Amino acid sequence: MLEPLLMNQSRAGISEIEAQYITGSLLKHVPFVTPKHTNEDVLTVFDEGPDLISLAVTEQGKPVGLINRNIFLGGMTKPYRRELYARKSCVAFMDKEPLIIEQGVSIQTLSLQAAETSGKILNDGFIITDDTGNYLGLGTGQDLVKVISYLQAEKNRLVMESIHYASIIQKSFLRASKEDMDSVLKDYFMHWEPRDKVGGDYYFCRKFEDGFFFALIDCTGHGVPGAFMTLIMASFLDHILTADNRKNPALALSMMNRKVKSALGQTGQCDGDFHQAKTIESPGEEHSDDGMDTAFCWFSTQNNQLVYAGAKTSLFYIIPGSHEANVLEPDRKGVGYVDTAIDYTWTNKELALSPGMCIYLTTDGVIDQIGGPKHIAFGKKRFIDTLLESHGKPMAEQKTLLLQGFYDYQGKQKRRDDVTLAGFRL
Amino acid sequence: MNNFYIKATADSPEVNFDFDNHILHIAGEAYPENAVKFFYPIITNLNNYLQATSEREIAVNFHLIYFNSASTKMLHSIFGLLNKNAQSNMNHIVVNWHHDEEDDTVLEFCMELKEDFHWLEFITIGTISAH
Repeated sequence: MLEPLLMNQSRAGISEIEAQYITGSLLKHVPFVTPKHTNEDVLTVFDEGPDLISLAVTEQGKPVGLINRNIFLGGMTKPYRRELYARKSCVAFMDKEPLIIEQGVSIQTLSLQAAETSGKILNDGFIITDDTGNYLGLGTGQDLVKVISYLQAEKNRLVMESIHYASIIQKSFLRASKEDMDSVLKDYFMHWEPRDKVGGDYYFCRKFEDGFFFALIDCTGHGVPGAFMTLIMASFLDHILTADNRKNPALALSMMNRKVKSALGQTGQCDGDFHQAKTIESPGEEHSDDGMDTAFCWFSTQNNQLVYAGAKTSLFYIIPGSHEANVLEPDRKGVGYVDTAIDYTWTNKELALSPGMCIYLTTDGVIDQIGGPKHIAFGKKRFIDTLLESHGKPMAEQKTLLLQGFYDYQGKQKRRDDVTLAGFRL
Repeated sequence: MNNFYIKATADSPEVNFDFDNHILHIAGEAYPENAVKFFYPIITNLNNYLQATSEREIAVNFHLIYFNSASTKMLHSIFGLLNKNAQSNMNHIVVNWHHDEEDDTVLEFCMELKEDFHWLEFITIGTISAH
Protein backbone atom coordinates (compact mmCIF):
# COMPACT_ATOMS: atom_id res chain seq x y z
CA MET A 1 0.00 0.00 0.00
CA LEU A 2 1.08 3.56 -0.64
CA GLU A 3 2.24 5.62 2.31
CA PRO A 4 -0.18 8.53 2.89
CA LEU A 5 2.70 10.93 2.42
CA LEU A 6 3.53 9.38 -0.93
CA MET A 7 -0.13 9.37 -1.90
CA ASN A 8 -0.27 13.11 -1.36
CA GLN A 9 2.65 13.56 -3.69
CA SER A 10 1.20 11.32 -6.33
CA ARG A 11 0.11 13.54 -9.17
CA ALA A 12 -1.90 11.39 -11.49
CA GLY A 13 -4.93 12.36 -13.55
CA ILE A 14 -7.67 13.70 -11.35
CA SER A 15 -5.38 14.38 -8.41
CA GLU A 16 -3.15 16.29 -10.79
CA ILE A 17 -5.91 18.71 -11.67
CA GLU A 18 -6.44 19.37 -8.00
CA ALA A 19 -2.74 19.85 -7.35
CA GLN A 20 -2.53 22.59 -9.94
CA TYR A 21 -4.92 24.64 -7.90
CA ILE A 22 -3.69 25.76 -4.52
CA THR A 23 -4.77 28.70 -2.41
CA GLY A 24 -1.90 30.72 -3.89
CA SER A 25 -3.56 30.60 -7.32
CA LEU A 26 -6.35 32.82 -5.93
CA LEU A 27 -3.88 35.40 -4.60
CA LYS A 28 -4.56 39.06 -5.29
CA HIS A 29 -1.93 41.57 -4.27
CA VAL A 30 -3.90 44.34 -2.64
CA PRO A 31 -3.06 47.16 -0.21
CA PHE A 32 -3.08 46.49 3.53
CA VAL A 33 -2.95 48.62 6.66
CA THR A 34 -1.43 48.28 10.14
CA PRO A 35 -2.97 49.12 13.53
CA LYS A 36 -1.09 52.41 13.33
CA HIS A 37 -3.36 53.47 10.50
CA THR A 38 -6.51 55.33 11.44
CA ASN A 39 -10.02 54.76 10.21
CA GLU A 40 -9.59 57.94 8.18
CA ASP A 41 -6.71 56.21 6.38
CA VAL A 42 -8.85 53.16 5.75
CA LEU A 43 -11.56 55.37 4.27
CA THR A 44 -8.99 56.83 1.89
CA VAL A 45 -7.78 53.35 0.84
CA PHE A 46 -11.35 52.20 0.16
CA ASP A 47 -12.01 55.43 -1.76
CA GLU A 48 -8.95 54.90 -3.91
CA GLY A 49 -9.70 51.24 -4.56
CA PRO A 50 -13.39 50.95 -5.44
CA ASP A 51 -12.97 47.22 -6.20
CA LEU A 52 -11.44 46.49 -2.84
CA ILE A 53 -13.85 44.29 -0.91
CA SER A 54 -11.71 43.90 2.19
CA LEU A 55 -8.55 45.28 3.68
CA ALA A 56 -6.15 43.23 5.74
CA VAL A 57 -4.59 44.61 8.91
CA THR A 58 -1.08 43.35 9.54
CA GLU A 59 1.36 43.74 12.40
CA GLN A 60 5.04 43.13 11.67
CA GLY A 61 4.08 41.43 8.45
CA LYS A 62 1.59 39.02 10.07
CA PRO A 63 -2.13 39.39 9.45
CA VAL A 64 -4.20 40.21 12.54
CA GLY A 65 -7.60 41.08 11.07
CA LEU A 66 -9.72 41.91 8.08
CA ILE A 67 -11.84 45.02 7.51
CA ASN A 68 -14.89 44.45 5.31
CA ARG A 69 -15.72 47.46 3.14
CA ASN A 70 -19.49 47.36 3.62
CA ILE A 71 -19.35 46.83 7.37
CA PHE A 72 -16.74 49.55 7.70
CA LEU A 73 -18.56 52.12 5.58
CA GLY A 74 -21.87 51.21 7.22
CA GLY A 75 -20.33 51.83 10.60
CA MET A 76 -18.55 55.03 9.70
CA THR A 77 -21.47 56.75 8.02
CA LYS A 78 -23.70 56.58 11.09
CA PRO A 79 -24.15 59.97 12.85
CA TYR A 80 -21.09 61.19 14.83
CA ARG A 81 -19.14 57.99 14.08
CA ARG A 82 -16.75 59.78 11.82
CA GLU A 83 -16.02 62.37 14.49
CA LEU A 84 -15.61 59.62 17.09
CA TYR A 85 -13.54 57.10 15.17
CA ALA A 86 -11.75 58.89 12.33
CA ARG A 87 -8.54 59.39 14.23
CA LYS A 88 -8.61 56.08 16.11
CA SER A 89 -6.81 52.91 15.09
CA CYS A 90 -8.40 50.96 12.29
CA VAL A 91 -8.66 47.83 14.47
CA ALA A 92 -12.03 49.18 15.72
CA PHE A 93 -13.95 47.86 12.72
CA MET A 94 -11.88 44.83 11.84
CA ASP A 95 -12.88 41.20 12.11
CA LYS A 96 -10.31 39.75 14.51
CA GLU A 97 -10.86 36.18 13.32
CA PRO A 98 -10.68 36.19 9.55
CA LEU A 99 -9.84 33.05 7.62
CA ILE A 100 -6.05 32.98 7.18
CA ILE A 101 -4.63 30.36 4.80
CA GLU A 102 -1.12 29.57 3.65
CA GLN A 103 -0.65 29.81 -0.10
CA GLY A 104 0.39 26.16 -0.44
CA VAL A 105 -2.87 24.79 0.99
CA SER A 106 -5.02 22.84 -1.47
CA ILE A 107 -8.26 24.33 -2.76
CA GLN A 108 -10.07 21.37 -1.23
CA THR A 109 -8.78 22.12 2.28
CA LEU A 110 -9.46 25.79 1.75
CA SER A 111 -13.06 25.15 0.72
CA LEU A 112 -13.63 22.89 3.73
CA GLN A 113 -12.32 25.57 6.07
CA ALA A 114 -14.32 28.22 4.25
CA ALA A 115 -17.48 26.16 4.71
CA GLU A 116 -16.86 26.11 8.46
CA THR A 117 -16.77 29.91 8.66
CA SER A 118 -20.54 30.05 8.03
CA GLY A 119 -20.28 31.76 4.69
CA LYS A 120 -18.40 34.78 6.02
CA ILE A 121 -15.64 34.35 3.50
CA LEU A 122 -18.07 34.58 0.58
CA ASN A 123 -18.46 38.27 1.47
CA ASP A 124 -15.15 39.12 3.09
CA GLY A 125 -12.72 36.90 1.28
CA PHE A 126 -9.74 35.48 3.14
CA ILE A 127 -6.12 36.33 3.85
CA ILE A 128 -3.33 34.44 2.10
CA THR A 129 0.11 34.15 3.72
CA ASP A 130 3.42 32.57 2.78
CA ASP A 131 4.48 29.42 4.59
CA THR A 132 5.94 31.41 7.50
CA GLY A 133 2.64 33.17 8.08
CA ASN A 134 3.60 36.50 6.52
CA TYR A 135 0.90 38.43 4.70
CA LEU A 136 0.86 38.07 0.91
CA GLY A 137 -2.56 39.30 -0.17
CA LEU A 138 -6.24 38.38 -0.29
CA GLY A 139 -8.45 35.87 -2.02
CA THR A 140 -12.11 36.50 -2.77
CA GLY A 141 -15.06 34.22 -2.14
CA GLN A 142 -16.15 34.70 -5.71
CA ASP A 143 -12.84 33.42 -7.08
CA LEU A 144 -13.00 30.45 -4.72
CA VAL A 145 -16.47 29.50 -5.92
CA LYS A 146 -15.31 29.87 -9.52
CA VAL A 147 -12.31 27.61 -9.10
CA ILE A 148 -14.29 24.97 -7.15
CA SER A 149 -16.93 24.86 -9.90
CA TYR A 150 -14.24 24.60 -12.51
CA LEU A 151 -12.46 21.75 -10.70
CA GLN A 152 -15.76 19.93 -10.23
CA ALA A 153 -16.65 20.31 -13.88
CA GLU A 154 -13.18 19.24 -14.95
CA LYS A 155 -13.25 16.13 -12.75
CA ASN A 156 -16.72 15.25 -14.01
CA ARG A 157 -15.59 15.66 -17.55
CA LEU A 158 -12.62 13.34 -17.03
CA VAL A 159 -14.74 10.70 -15.34
CA MET A 160 -17.48 10.92 -17.97
CA GLU A 161 -15.01 10.75 -20.83
CA SER A 162 -13.39 7.76 -19.26
CA ILE A 163 -16.75 6.00 -18.79
CA HIS A 164 -17.73 6.89 -22.32
CA TYR A 165 -14.61 5.23 -23.63
CA ALA A 166 -15.15 2.26 -21.34
CA SER A 167 -18.56 1.85 -22.93
CA ILE A 168 -16.95 1.70 -26.37
CA ILE A 169 -14.70 -1.10 -25.12
CA GLN A 170 -17.58 -2.97 -23.54
CA LYS A 171 -19.66 -2.69 -26.71
CA SER A 172 -16.80 -3.90 -28.83
CA PHE A 173 -16.61 -7.00 -26.64
CA LEU A 174 -20.24 -7.66 -27.52
CA ARG A 175 -19.70 -7.32 -31.25
CA ALA A 176 -18.56 -10.89 -31.88
CA SER A 177 -21.62 -12.23 -30.08
CA LYS A 178 -23.87 -9.96 -32.08
CA GLU A 179 -22.35 -11.19 -35.34
CA ASP A 180 -22.85 -14.82 -34.36
CA MET A 181 -26.45 -14.12 -33.40
CA ASP A 182 -27.01 -12.48 -36.78
CA SER A 183 -25.77 -15.58 -38.53
CA VAL A 184 -27.64 -18.21 -36.47
CA LEU A 185 -30.97 -16.45 -35.85
CA LYS A 186 -33.28 -15.06 -38.50
CA ASP A 187 -35.81 -13.40 -36.25
CA TYR A 188 -34.51 -12.09 -32.95
CA PHE A 189 -33.89 -9.04 -30.84
CA MET A 190 -31.18 -8.30 -28.33
CA HIS A 191 -31.63 -5.27 -26.09
CA TRP A 192 -28.73 -4.30 -23.87
CA GLU A 193 -29.16 -1.16 -21.78
CA PRO A 194 -26.72 -0.56 -18.95
CA ARG A 195 -28.01 1.89 -16.36
CA ASP A 196 -24.83 3.98 -16.23
CA LYS A 197 -23.41 3.76 -19.78
CA VAL A 198 -21.45 0.64 -18.86
CA GLY A 199 -22.76 -2.13 -16.67
CA GLY A 200 -22.78 -5.62 -15.25
CA ASP A 201 -25.20 -7.09 -17.78
CA TYR A 202 -23.75 -8.99 -20.66
CA TYR A 203 -24.62 -11.48 -23.35
CA PHE A 204 -22.58 -14.03 -25.13
CA CYS A 205 -23.20 -16.04 -28.27
CA ARG A 206 -20.93 -18.47 -30.05
CA LYS A 207 -21.75 -20.34 -33.23
CA PHE A 208 -20.66 -23.93 -33.80
CA GLU A 209 -21.25 -26.25 -36.74
CA ASP A 210 -23.94 -28.19 -34.85
CA GLY A 211 -25.64 -25.33 -33.04
CA PHE A 212 -24.95 -22.28 -30.94
CA PHE A 213 -24.28 -21.43 -27.32
CA PHE A 214 -26.02 -18.44 -25.76
CA ALA A 215 -25.61 -16.91 -22.31
CA LEU A 216 -27.39 -13.98 -20.70
CA ILE A 217 -25.33 -12.72 -17.80
CA ASP A 218 -25.99 -10.40 -14.88
CA CYS A 219 -22.77 -9.75 -12.95
CA THR A 220 -22.70 -8.24 -9.48
CA GLY A 221 -23.05 -4.51 -9.47
CA HIS A 222 -23.51 -2.10 -12.30
CA GLY A 223 -21.48 0.78 -13.68
CA VAL A 224 -17.72 0.44 -13.90
CA PRO A 225 -17.27 -2.39 -11.34
CA GLY A 226 -20.05 -4.33 -13.08
CA ALA A 227 -18.35 -3.83 -16.42
CA PHE A 228 -15.04 -5.16 -15.05
CA MET A 229 -16.86 -8.29 -13.99
CA THR A 230 -18.41 -8.80 -17.43
CA LEU A 231 -14.97 -8.72 -19.05
CA ILE A 232 -13.66 -11.30 -16.57
CA MET A 233 -16.66 -13.53 -17.25
CA ALA A 234 -16.40 -13.09 -21.01
CA SER A 235 -12.78 -14.17 -21.10
CA PHE A 236 -13.46 -17.20 -18.87
CA LEU A 237 -16.41 -18.21 -20.98
CA ASP A 238 -14.32 -17.95 -24.13
CA HIS A 239 -11.77 -20.36 -22.65
CA ILE A 240 -14.32 -22.82 -21.35
CA LEU A 241 -16.27 -23.16 -24.55
CA THR A 242 -13.35 -24.42 -26.55
CA ALA A 243 -14.00 -27.81 -24.98
CA ASP A 244 -16.96 -30.08 -25.69
CA ASN A 245 -18.87 -28.86 -22.65
CA ARG A 246 -20.86 -26.37 -24.70
CA LYS A 247 -23.46 -29.12 -25.00
CA ASN A 248 -23.55 -29.38 -21.23
CA PRO A 249 -24.40 -25.91 -19.86
CA ALA A 250 -24.65 -27.17 -16.27
CA LEU A 251 -21.08 -28.38 -16.48
CA ALA A 252 -20.00 -25.09 -18.05
CA LEU A 253 -21.58 -23.29 -15.09
CA SER A 254 -19.63 -25.46 -12.64
CA MET A 255 -16.42 -24.73 -14.48
CA MET A 256 -17.16 -21.01 -14.46
CA ASN A 257 -17.94 -21.21 -10.75
CA ARG A 258 -14.54 -22.75 -10.03
CA LYS A 259 -12.72 -20.28 -12.23
CA VAL A 260 -14.42 -17.22 -10.78
CA LYS A 261 -14.03 -18.35 -7.19
CA SER A 262 -10.34 -19.07 -7.52
CA ALA A 263 -9.61 -15.96 -9.61
CA LEU A 264 -11.30 -13.67 -7.08
CA GLY A 265 -10.15 -15.58 -4.02
CA GLN A 266 -13.71 -16.49 -3.05
CA THR A 267 -12.91 -20.06 -2.23
CA GLY A 268 -13.43 -20.01 1.55
CA GLN A 269 -15.77 -22.39 3.28
CA CYS A 270 -19.30 -21.54 2.44
CA ASP A 271 -21.85 -22.72 4.88
CA GLY A 272 -24.33 -19.88 5.30
CA ASP A 273 -22.51 -18.41 8.31
CA PHE A 274 -19.27 -17.73 6.59
CA HIS A 275 -20.55 -14.75 4.73
CA GLN A 276 -21.86 -13.16 7.90
CA ALA A 277 -18.85 -13.93 10.00
CA LYS A 278 -16.56 -12.51 7.40
CA THR A 279 -18.57 -9.33 7.07
CA ILE A 280 -18.90 -8.86 10.77
CA GLU A 281 -15.31 -9.48 11.66
CA SER A 282 -13.58 -7.43 9.06
CA PRO A 283 -15.70 -4.79 7.40
CA GLY A 284 -12.69 -2.60 6.77
CA GLU A 285 -10.98 -5.06 4.54
CA GLU A 286 -12.10 -5.11 0.99
CA HIS A 287 -13.40 -8.62 0.49
CA SER A 288 -14.97 -9.35 -2.80
CA ASP A 289 -18.12 -11.37 -3.09
CA ASP A 290 -18.75 -11.17 -6.77
CA GLY A 291 -20.23 -13.46 -9.32
CA MET A 292 -23.04 -13.68 -11.80
CA ASP A 293 -26.60 -14.78 -12.28
CA THR A 294 -26.97 -16.29 -15.69
CA ALA A 295 -28.72 -18.62 -18.10
CA PHE A 296 -26.49 -20.87 -20.21
CA CYS A 297 -28.18 -22.34 -23.28
CA TRP A 298 -27.05 -24.81 -25.89
CA PHE A 299 -29.22 -24.69 -28.98
CA SER A 300 -28.62 -27.84 -30.97
CA THR A 301 -29.66 -27.22 -34.55
CA GLN A 302 -28.84 -30.84 -35.31
CA ASN A 303 -31.30 -32.32 -32.82
CA ASN A 304 -33.68 -29.36 -32.57
CA GLN A 305 -33.14 -29.32 -28.89
CA LEU A 306 -32.33 -26.75 -26.24
CA VAL A 307 -30.29 -27.61 -23.17
CA TYR A 308 -30.61 -24.95 -20.49
CA ALA A 309 -28.98 -24.52 -17.10
CA GLY A 310 -29.91 -21.46 -15.07
CA ALA A 311 -28.26 -19.69 -12.18
CA LYS A 312 -31.11 -17.55 -10.85
CA THR A 313 -32.15 -16.66 -14.40
CA SER A 314 -35.34 -18.10 -15.89
CA LEU A 315 -35.99 -18.93 -19.52
CA PHE A 316 -39.44 -18.14 -20.93
CA TYR A 317 -40.88 -19.79 -24.03
CA ILE A 318 -44.10 -19.70 -25.96
CA ILE A 319 -45.17 -22.44 -28.37
CA PRO A 320 -46.86 -21.02 -31.49
CA GLY A 321 -50.63 -20.96 -31.25
CA SER A 322 -50.45 -21.40 -27.50
CA HIS A 323 -52.03 -18.96 -25.12
CA GLU A 324 -49.67 -19.51 -22.31
CA ALA A 325 -46.02 -18.90 -21.61
CA ASN A 326 -43.85 -21.58 -20.06
CA VAL A 327 -40.89 -21.10 -17.80
CA LEU A 328 -37.76 -23.17 -17.34
CA GLU A 329 -36.91 -22.51 -13.70
CA PRO A 330 -33.29 -21.92 -12.73
CA ASP A 331 -31.30 -23.30 -9.82
CA ARG A 332 -31.17 -20.89 -6.94
CA LYS A 333 -27.43 -20.34 -6.64
CA GLY A 334 -25.45 -17.72 -8.54
CA VAL A 335 -22.04 -18.46 -10.05
CA GLY A 336 -18.82 -17.65 -8.20
CA TYR A 337 -20.26 -16.08 -5.06
CA VAL A 338 -18.81 -16.84 -1.64
CA ASP A 339 -21.96 -18.67 -0.57
CA THR A 340 -21.95 -20.92 -3.63
CA ALA A 341 -19.93 -24.05 -2.86
CA ILE A 342 -16.98 -24.71 -5.14
CA ASP A 343 -18.44 -28.10 -6.07
CA TYR A 344 -22.02 -26.85 -6.50
CA THR A 345 -23.74 -28.49 -9.45
CA TRP A 346 -26.41 -26.94 -11.62
CA THR A 347 -28.99 -28.94 -13.50
CA ASN A 348 -29.58 -29.22 -17.23
CA LYS A 349 -33.13 -28.94 -18.51
CA GLU A 350 -33.97 -30.05 -22.01
CA LEU A 351 -36.59 -28.66 -24.31
CA ALA A 352 -37.59 -29.90 -27.76
CA LEU A 353 -37.53 -26.98 -30.16
CA SER A 354 -40.31 -26.58 -32.68
CA PRO A 355 -40.39 -24.12 -35.59
CA GLY A 356 -41.89 -20.77 -34.64
CA MET A 357 -41.26 -21.23 -30.94
CA CYS A 358 -40.37 -18.00 -29.13
CA ILE A 359 -37.72 -17.91 -26.44
CA TYR A 360 -37.09 -14.99 -24.10
CA LEU A 361 -34.43 -14.25 -21.53
CA THR A 362 -34.06 -11.26 -19.27
CA THR A 363 -31.95 -10.08 -16.35
CA ASP A 364 -33.64 -8.96 -13.12
CA GLY A 365 -33.42 -5.32 -14.24
CA VAL A 366 -36.74 -5.63 -16.05
CA ILE A 367 -38.69 -7.75 -13.59
CA ASP A 368 -37.53 -5.91 -10.45
CA GLN A 369 -37.91 -2.37 -11.80
CA ILE A 370 -40.14 -0.24 -9.59
CA GLY A 371 -42.92 1.67 -11.29
CA GLY A 372 -46.64 1.77 -12.02
CA PRO A 373 -49.25 3.55 -9.92
CA LYS A 374 -48.38 1.46 -6.85
CA HIS A 375 -44.61 1.81 -7.07
CA ILE A 376 -44.01 -1.90 -7.01
CA ALA A 377 -41.82 -4.17 -9.13
CA PHE A 378 -42.72 -4.81 -12.78
CA GLY A 379 -42.93 -8.48 -11.85
CA LYS A 380 -42.85 -11.80 -13.68
CA LYS A 381 -46.58 -11.88 -14.26
CA ARG A 382 -46.65 -8.55 -16.05
CA PHE A 383 -43.59 -9.60 -18.06
CA ILE A 384 -45.30 -12.82 -19.19
CA ASP A 385 -48.54 -11.01 -19.97
CA THR A 386 -46.63 -8.58 -22.18
CA LEU A 387 -44.94 -11.50 -23.98
CA LEU A 388 -48.30 -13.19 -24.58
CA GLU A 389 -49.79 -10.05 -26.05
CA SER A 390 -47.09 -9.61 -28.64
CA HIS A 391 -45.53 -13.03 -29.35
CA GLY A 392 -47.23 -13.40 -32.74
CA LYS A 393 -45.45 -10.37 -34.13
CA PRO A 394 -41.96 -10.20 -35.65
CA MET A 395 -39.29 -10.00 -32.94
CA ALA A 396 -38.23 -6.45 -33.80
CA GLU A 397 -41.80 -5.33 -33.28
CA GLN A 398 -42.08 -7.34 -30.07
CA LYS A 399 -39.01 -5.59 -28.75
CA THR A 400 -40.60 -2.19 -29.35
CA LEU A 401 -43.83 -3.26 -27.65
CA LEU A 402 -42.02 -4.85 -24.69
CA LEU A 403 -39.80 -1.86 -24.13
CA GLN A 404 -42.65 0.60 -24.58
CA GLY A 405 -44.58 -1.28 -21.91
CA PHE A 406 -41.55 -1.35 -19.66
CA TYR A 407 -40.68 2.33 -20.08
CA ASP A 408 -44.30 3.32 -19.52
CA TYR A 409 -44.38 1.22 -16.36
CA GLN A 410 -41.14 2.76 -15.09
CA GLY A 411 -42.61 6.20 -15.72
CA LYS A 412 -40.82 8.80 -13.68
CA GLN A 413 -39.20 6.26 -11.37
CA LYS A 414 -35.43 6.01 -11.39
CA ARG A 415 -33.90 3.07 -13.27
CA ARG A 416 -32.77 0.67 -10.55
CA ASP A 417 -30.49 -1.68 -12.47
CA ASP A 418 -29.05 -2.60 -15.86
CA VAL A 419 -31.62 -3.97 -18.28
CA THR A 420 -31.06 -6.76 -20.80
CA LEU A 421 -33.72 -8.49 -22.80
CA ALA A 422 -33.41 -11.10 -25.54
CA GLY A 423 -36.04 -12.73 -27.76
CA PHE A 424 -35.51 -15.43 -30.42
CA ARG A 425 -37.91 -17.08 -32.80
CA LEU A 426 -36.75 -20.45 -34.01
CA MET B 1 -29.72 -2.00 25.07
CA ASN B 2 -29.44 0.90 22.62
CA ASN B 3 -32.03 0.91 19.93
CA PHE B 4 -30.80 1.25 16.40
CA TYR B 5 -32.15 3.62 13.78
CA ILE B 6 -31.13 4.58 10.25
CA LYS B 7 -33.08 7.10 8.21
CA ALA B 8 -34.17 6.11 4.71
CA THR B 9 -32.47 7.59 1.65
CA ALA B 10 -33.34 7.24 -2.05
CA ASP B 11 -31.31 4.04 -2.31
CA SER B 12 -31.27 2.70 1.25
CA PRO B 13 -34.04 1.64 3.61
CA GLU B 14 -35.29 2.90 6.92
CA VAL B 15 -34.09 0.59 9.67
CA ASN B 16 -35.66 0.80 13.09
CA PHE B 17 -34.56 -1.86 15.55
CA ASP B 18 -36.48 -1.33 18.75
CA PHE B 19 -34.47 -3.81 20.78
CA ASP B 20 -36.22 -2.88 24.05
CA ASN B 21 -39.54 -4.03 22.66
CA HIS B 22 -38.09 -6.75 20.43
CA ILE B 23 -39.49 -5.20 17.26
CA LEU B 24 -37.23 -5.02 14.21
CA HIS B 25 -38.51 -2.90 11.35
CA ILE B 26 -37.07 -2.39 7.88
CA ALA B 27 -38.82 -0.48 5.10
CA GLY B 28 -38.22 1.16 1.75
CA GLU B 29 -35.67 0.24 -0.87
CA ALA B 30 -32.19 -1.26 -0.74
CA TYR B 31 -29.77 -0.65 -3.56
CA PRO B 32 -26.91 1.25 -1.95
CA GLU B 33 -23.70 1.70 -3.94
CA ASN B 34 -21.85 -0.54 -1.47
CA ALA B 35 -24.22 -3.04 0.13
CA VAL B 36 -21.63 -4.67 2.41
CA LYS B 37 -20.68 -1.30 3.88
CA PHE B 38 -24.28 -0.26 4.33
CA PHE B 39 -25.40 -3.48 6.02
CA TYR B 40 -22.33 -3.92 8.19
CA PRO B 41 -23.50 -1.76 11.16
CA ILE B 42 -26.99 -3.23 10.86
CA ILE B 43 -25.71 -6.79 11.09
CA THR B 44 -23.28 -5.98 13.91
CA ASN B 45 -25.96 -4.32 16.02
CA LEU B 46 -28.44 -7.06 15.33
CA ASN B 47 -25.87 -9.68 16.20
CA ASN B 48 -25.07 -8.04 19.54
CA TYR B 49 -28.75 -7.85 20.37
CA LEU B 50 -29.44 -11.44 19.39
CA GLN B 51 -26.56 -12.78 21.43
CA ALA B 52 -27.91 -11.04 24.50
CA THR B 53 -31.48 -12.19 23.95
CA SER B 54 -33.10 -15.54 24.65
CA GLU B 55 -36.56 -17.04 25.08
CA ARG B 56 -38.29 -13.97 23.72
CA GLU B 57 -40.97 -13.14 21.20
CA ILE B 58 -39.25 -11.15 18.47
CA ALA B 59 -41.14 -9.50 15.62
CA VAL B 60 -39.47 -8.64 12.33
CA ASN B 61 -41.57 -6.25 10.26
CA PHE B 62 -40.41 -6.41 6.69
CA HIS B 63 -41.66 -3.64 4.40
CA LEU B 64 -39.04 -3.49 1.65
CA ILE B 65 -40.32 -2.98 -1.89
CA TYR B 66 -37.01 -3.20 -3.77
CA PHE B 67 -33.64 -4.79 -3.05
CA ASN B 68 -30.94 -5.37 -5.64
CA SER B 69 -28.92 -8.58 -5.84
CA ALA B 70 -26.12 -7.37 -3.55
CA SER B 71 -28.65 -6.31 -0.90
CA THR B 72 -30.55 -9.58 -1.34
CA LYS B 73 -27.39 -11.40 -0.30
CA MET B 74 -27.07 -9.24 2.80
CA LEU B 75 -30.73 -9.75 3.67
CA HIS B 76 -30.22 -13.48 3.28
CA SER B 77 -27.37 -13.20 5.79
CA ILE B 78 -29.60 -11.30 8.21
CA PHE B 79 -32.32 -13.94 8.07
CA GLY B 80 -29.65 -16.60 8.43
CA LEU B 81 -28.49 -14.90 11.60
CA LEU B 82 -32.05 -14.72 12.93
CA ASN B 83 -32.69 -18.34 12.04
CA LYS B 84 -29.61 -19.56 13.85
CA ASN B 85 -30.48 -17.49 16.87
CA ALA B 86 -34.09 -18.71 16.99
CA GLN B 87 -32.67 -22.20 17.31
CA SER B 88 -29.74 -21.58 19.64
CA ASN B 89 -31.33 -19.02 22.00
CA MET B 90 -34.88 -20.35 21.81
CA ASN B 91 -36.30 -17.07 20.60
CA HIS B 92 -39.60 -17.20 18.78
CA ILE B 93 -39.03 -15.02 15.76
CA VAL B 94 -42.00 -14.03 13.62
CA VAL B 95 -41.33 -12.35 10.31
CA ASN B 96 -44.24 -10.22 9.16
CA TRP B 97 -43.67 -10.00 5.44
CA HIS B 98 -45.56 -7.02 4.07
CA HIS B 99 -45.97 -6.84 0.32
CA ASP B 100 -48.39 -5.45 -2.20
CA GLU B 101 -50.93 -8.10 -3.26
CA GLU B 102 -49.68 -7.86 -6.85
CA ASP B 103 -45.99 -7.82 -6.00
CA ASP B 104 -44.83 -11.32 -6.87
CA THR B 105 -41.16 -10.30 -6.79
CA VAL B 106 -41.06 -9.40 -3.10
CA LEU B 107 -43.21 -12.41 -2.25
CA GLU B 108 -40.94 -14.77 -4.14
CA PHE B 109 -37.97 -13.83 -1.95
CA CYS B 110 -40.06 -14.60 1.13
CA MET B 111 -40.79 -18.07 -0.27
CA GLU B 112 -37.07 -18.66 -0.77
CA LEU B 113 -36.29 -17.64 2.79
CA LYS B 114 -39.09 -19.85 4.07
CA GLU B 115 -37.48 -22.77 2.30
CA ASP B 116 -34.05 -22.02 3.75
CA PHE B 117 -34.83 -21.00 7.32
CA HIS B 118 -37.09 -23.39 9.19
CA TRP B 119 -36.69 -21.82 12.61
CA LEU B 120 -38.39 -18.62 11.56
CA GLU B 121 -42.13 -18.17 11.31
CA PHE B 122 -43.09 -16.23 8.19
CA ILE B 123 -46.44 -14.48 7.93
CA THR B 124 -47.13 -12.89 4.56
CA ILE B 125 -49.36 -9.85 4.70
CA GLY B 126 -50.60 -8.80 1.28
CA THR B 127 -51.79 -5.24 1.23
CA ILE B 128 -54.13 -3.73 -1.31
CA SER B 129 -52.73 -0.33 -1.91
CA ALA B 130 -55.01 2.67 -2.24
CA HIS B 131 -53.72 3.76 -5.65
